[in-house]
Amino acid sequence: MTSSVPIRRSRRNQNNESAPRDRNHLMVGFTIFLLSESVIFLSLFVTYIALRLSSAHWFPAGISGLEVTKPAVNTAILVSSSVVIYFAERALDRNYLGRFRLLLLLTSAMGAYFLIGQALEWHGLSFGLTSGLFGATFYLLTGFHGLHVFTGILLQINVLVRSFTAHRATPENHSGFSAAALFWHFVDVIWIVLFFLLYIW
Amino acid sequence: MKALNALLLAIFIAILMITSRWIGQQAYTWMPPQATAEAKHVDDLFSFLVSLGAFIFLSILGVLLYAILTSRAVKGDLSDGPAIEGNPTLEAVWTVAPILLVLWIATQSYMIYQQIDLQGLSPVVHLHLPLEAPAAAQTEDTAKLAVDTIDVTAKQWSWFFRYPGGSTSTELHLPVNQTTRLALRSQDVLHGFYVPEFRIKQDIIPNRTINFSLTPLKEGKYRLRDSQFSGTYFALMEADVYIESPSAFHQWLTQISAQHPLPAANPAFIEHTQPSPKTFSSGWVAVPPAKPPIVNHSSHP
Amino acid sequence: MANNPIEGILDVGERSGAPLEQTGWRRYFSFSTDHKVIGVQYLVTSFIFFLIAGLLSMIMRGELITPPADLVDRPFYNGLFTLHGTMMIFLWIIPSLVGLANYLVPLMIGARDMAFPTLNAIAYWIIPFSGLLLLVSFLLPSGTAQAGWWSYPPISLQNPSGHLINGEFMWLLGVALLGISSIMGAVNFVTTIVCMRAPGMTYFRMPIFVWTVLSAQLLQLSCLPALTGAAILLFFDLTFGTTFFNPFEGGSPILYQHLFWFYSHPAVYVMVLPAFGIFSEIIPAFSRKPLFGYRSVAIASFGIAMVSIFVWVHHMFASGTPGWMRMLFMFTTALVAVPTGIKVFAWTATVWRGKLHLDTPMLFALGGVAMFVFAGITGVMMGMVPFDLHVNNTYFVVGHFHYVVFNTITMAIFAAIYFWFPKITGRMYVEGWGKLHFWLTFIGANLTFFPMHPLGLQGMVRRISSYNPQYADWNIVASLGAFLLGMATLPFIVNIVSCWNRGRKAPSNPWRATGLEWTTASPPPVENFEEIPVVTSPPYGYGKVMTNEP
Ligand code: HEA
Ligand code: HEA
Ligand code: CUA
Ligand SMILES: [Cu+2]
Repeated sequence: MTSSVPIRRSRRNQNNESAPRDRNHLMVGFTIFLLSESVIFLSLFVTYIALRLSSAHWFPAGISGLEVTKPAVNTAILVSSSVVIYFAERALDRNYLGRFRLLLLLTSAMGAYFLIGQALEWHGLSFGLTSGLFGATFYLLTGFHGLHVFTGILLQINVLVRSFTAHRATPENHSGFSAAALFWHFVDVIWIVLFFLLYIW
Repeated sequence: MKALNALLLAIFIAILMITSRWIGQQAYTWMPPQATAEAKHVDDLFSFLVSLGAFIFLSILGVLLYAILTSRAVKGDLSDGPAIEGNPTLEAVWTVAPILLVLWIATQSYMIYQQIDLQGLSPVVHLHLPLEAPAAAQTEDTAKLAVDTIDVTAKQWSWFFRYPGGSTSTELHLPVNQTTRLALRSQDVLHGFYVPEFRIKQDIIPNRTINFSLTPLKEGKYRLRDSQFSGTYFALMEADVYIESPSAFHQWLTQISAQHPLPAANPAFIEHTQPSPKTFSSGWVAVPPAKPPIVNHSSHP
Repeated sequence: MANNPIEGILDVGERSGAPLEQTGWRRYFSFSTDHKVIGVQYLVTSFIFFLIAGLLSMIMRGELITPPADLVDRPFYNGLFTLHGTMMIFLWIIPSLVGLANYLVPLMIGARDMAFPTLNAIAYWIIPFSGLLLLVSFLLPSGTAQAGWWSYPPISLQNPSGHLINGEFMWLLGVALLGISSIMGAVNFVTTIVCMRAPGMTYFRMPIFVWTVLSAQLLQLSCLPALTGAAILLFFDLTFGTTFFNPFEGGSPILYQHLFWFYSHPAVYVMVLPAFGIFSEIIPAFSRKPLFGYRSVAIASFGIAMVSIFVWVHHMFASGTPGWMRMLFMFTTALVAVPTGIKVFAWTATVWRGKLHLDTPMLFALGGVAMFVFAGITGVMMGMVPFDLHVNNTYFVVGHFHYVVFNTITMAIFAAIYFWFPKITGRMYVEGWGKLHFWLTFIGANLTFFPMHPLGLQGMVRRISSYNPQYADWNIVASLGAFLLGMATLPFIVNIVSCWNRGRKAPSNPWRATGLEWTTASPPPVENFEEIPVVTSPPYGYGKVMTNEP
């Protein structure tokens, strides 16, 4: 059933990203992980929809919906940052290191802008976590998403800092950066759904 | 040889069929007495499921046992069996046959469910949805509520029943041979309405009214059980159920309506205030029972 | 098969012990990233939790041997079954199977380790920690969680002590952590199986055990997050005063039930699929025949996983579920019997005309299969709405699932431990003790769990510590059976503990089994294989000329 071939690699370099077959592990694993993350968000979306459909009074007293313009600007920024990180990836592929760093920094700055905008919005709202179902779902969903944005920014800064060291992302080998970028796109898509659920519907 | 095998197989199957049919007949005796029209249908379905289940279980067990008994390797025999890797026909058969079987079982259950449904078992759930046109629901409600709806209220840990006319009791009395509607409500957590002899069970959800009707057929005394776990004294949440002739039922109603309302005796309340000795006491804080209901008539615990 | 002389392989094992790793028993207490060490850590830890959860069930059976509630008080009893159920599922069955898979999957597919060894170690260390969280709650003044392993609101939200740190709080924390650990494990398994198979190990050359692990872990990935979501929401309700599940403030307790069962139904197949994998390895090896219909058994694993995502409402037939939903889920539930049946028939056909060796692993496997058929049939019966409305929340359900979780899956885990014990430890267990363990367990388990069926049919509901005297007789049988079952673990413990160090030395392939794990030394060297094997044919080559050893 089996015959033998000479040993190919030792334990020490098995997880080293230079071995061609192993390089993809991180991306495969990360993609699988994101599938699972999207189910958590899905369950929270379902909660929001189900509760909203079965409630007679959805918004807290005195409110008939949320202010849309500022969040819309915020949304536009977040969505465009997804495009920026895409260009960062292209820059990296061509080994334009300076441009890569710049674009990456820009992405995290846009992410930070979004977070700050979110925080300001929270601050200015007249209802809290315990003011009925809308308050609870609103804060939970935006908060949980905000946590993801925050994580995404940390991942980007990590790649950015490493780009000044010997372990930097290279055109041939940048699964760490690819993961961060994929995560960013994911966070973005989730936000678009959230924006429609929370602000438009 | 081939013919002999086929004959043996046929005999095996015949014996199995007779045995499982017999087991299926026995199944009726494993159930509590039938006290409602619905119970008979459920028991018919149960008997059918048991026959089929017994057939499947016994045939697989039979083949397995036969194989184990006849093909054991003798001590020290290290040889291998025949390298049979599969048989497409056989595999197709044992994929298709179960498909047909489960479709049969499910269709049978579907039909029985419809029959029970005609008799009004299936719950009418009022979700209090804004989507539901409230006006329509209202009129429909009052039309059906007309005479015979009994309000069933559950709370931690007691039952009480409000009869048409307004008298209340901790006993459930039902007139025999009449379809009665129950309106189930809970004041705190989930509870469940279950009388084993009725074969039906319905969870009760706080802030909702669940209506369903049933038709008792056999006079006697039964026991209503809370079937959905509801916390510390869940085990004590029972009530007596009497099915009696319509005249006895109405007589009882008039009789209790004259009684002055008093707090009912309640086992959970009693146990909470005067705990009986236990070998081991954890001292954990328990949810205190709600106040016993105030009713015209209370059964003695 | 690689027919390397055994001495040669043993030699390899000694040479390649990495000097940097801890050796001997010490390594099991270290933060090792070797999948074999982690596998054993999982197995031992979860077995300890099995004993603890088993002890809790012994107290329950002690209370239930007489009708009145006289042994323990009611809050304590409610805590007992809540933690018994939670620990048995999340700290015994799931982690012990993850442990086995950890040990075996890399060996079976010809890899040197899991894809993410550090993640693997972290996922393991979460287990004992969250187990402790659950156990510590016994010491809280408010006691443990008492709302059953479903933790349905509103009762799970009732917090009579008023403390912030209460049993339910600990329960939610523990379960959420265990969920995170499971997701880490699932990412790791799927990546390993997808990316790290040895050359020539195509999907249809993987042993069935690997197939079942893959399908079970995919189920974890796609369903477990729903439970995490539900736990987060419940946690907010309990701790921060939100009202997601509070019916009096517009919340929906039924929504919680949907989220809970959307995971917890598939969870039962997460548990049973690897058990099916174990049967599929052991039965061919001891029948000396290839697994009958390998391909259809492999595909059936995925069939079971797929269908099982769409049946969760069968736990909610009596929860105010509308008629159309009841009927829809009745049909989907019945369908699970089809792919499952394919497996049962395949095992039966494998035994047929084989050359059977009834060693301990085979006894446990055959016993498990037989009792699984019984459990499956009662399961299909409960899937039928009119019947379920009678038995829902009665002991019939309790009987059904113990026939699976104990009589099938726990039996399968025992079978697996005996089967791979020589591989893991390099020693043989004592056959006589093993057979004694089997017979005591088989008899004890049936005495304990069979009586629950008639009790349920007669209307005895579950989760009660006192009951009507009409149910006394069967309860006495069940309790005595349970005590016998408790004793039955003793021969197992004696056998394993004493043979781990002092047992007879085992050759690398004592069962003459196929499969890559048997081509390496016992115990396998740190990197599993001296040379990465190249696979040239499907598994289970019993009876083929090539597998007949010289
Ligand atoms: C891990 C184990 C496990 C497994 C594998 C199963 C398998 C099945 N279970 Fe079970 N179940 C549980 C664990 C498990 N269950 C638990 C833990 C609970 C209760 C939780 C709680 O309430 O606390 C539960 C509860 C439960 C209920 C809810 C009852 C209630 O609360 O009212 C139902 C209802 O449909 C059900 C059905 C089934 C079915 C149809 C299968 C099927 O998968 C079985 C399929 C197998 C076969 C049918 C046998 C082999 C097939 C053949 C030989 C082919 C021919 C057969 C036919 C044509 C029928 N189960
Ligand atoms: C998943 C696996 C699993 C397993 C393996 C078991 C195993 C057992 N279960 Fe379990 N059980 C559940 C899962 C499981 N159970 C679940 C999910 C519930 C539902 C909970 C709920 O309603 O919320 C439940 C509920 C449940 C009930 C119903 C309680 C009620 O509704 O009121 C009962 C009652 O008899 C019971 C009994 C047993 C027994 C006797 C065993 C035996 O097989 C156990 C055998 C035990 C041993 C072999 C260990 C013996 C140990 C010793 C003798 C002491 C050693 C001591 C130390 C080391 C300290 N179980
Ligand atoms: Cu009372 Cu459930
Ligand atoms: Cu299920």
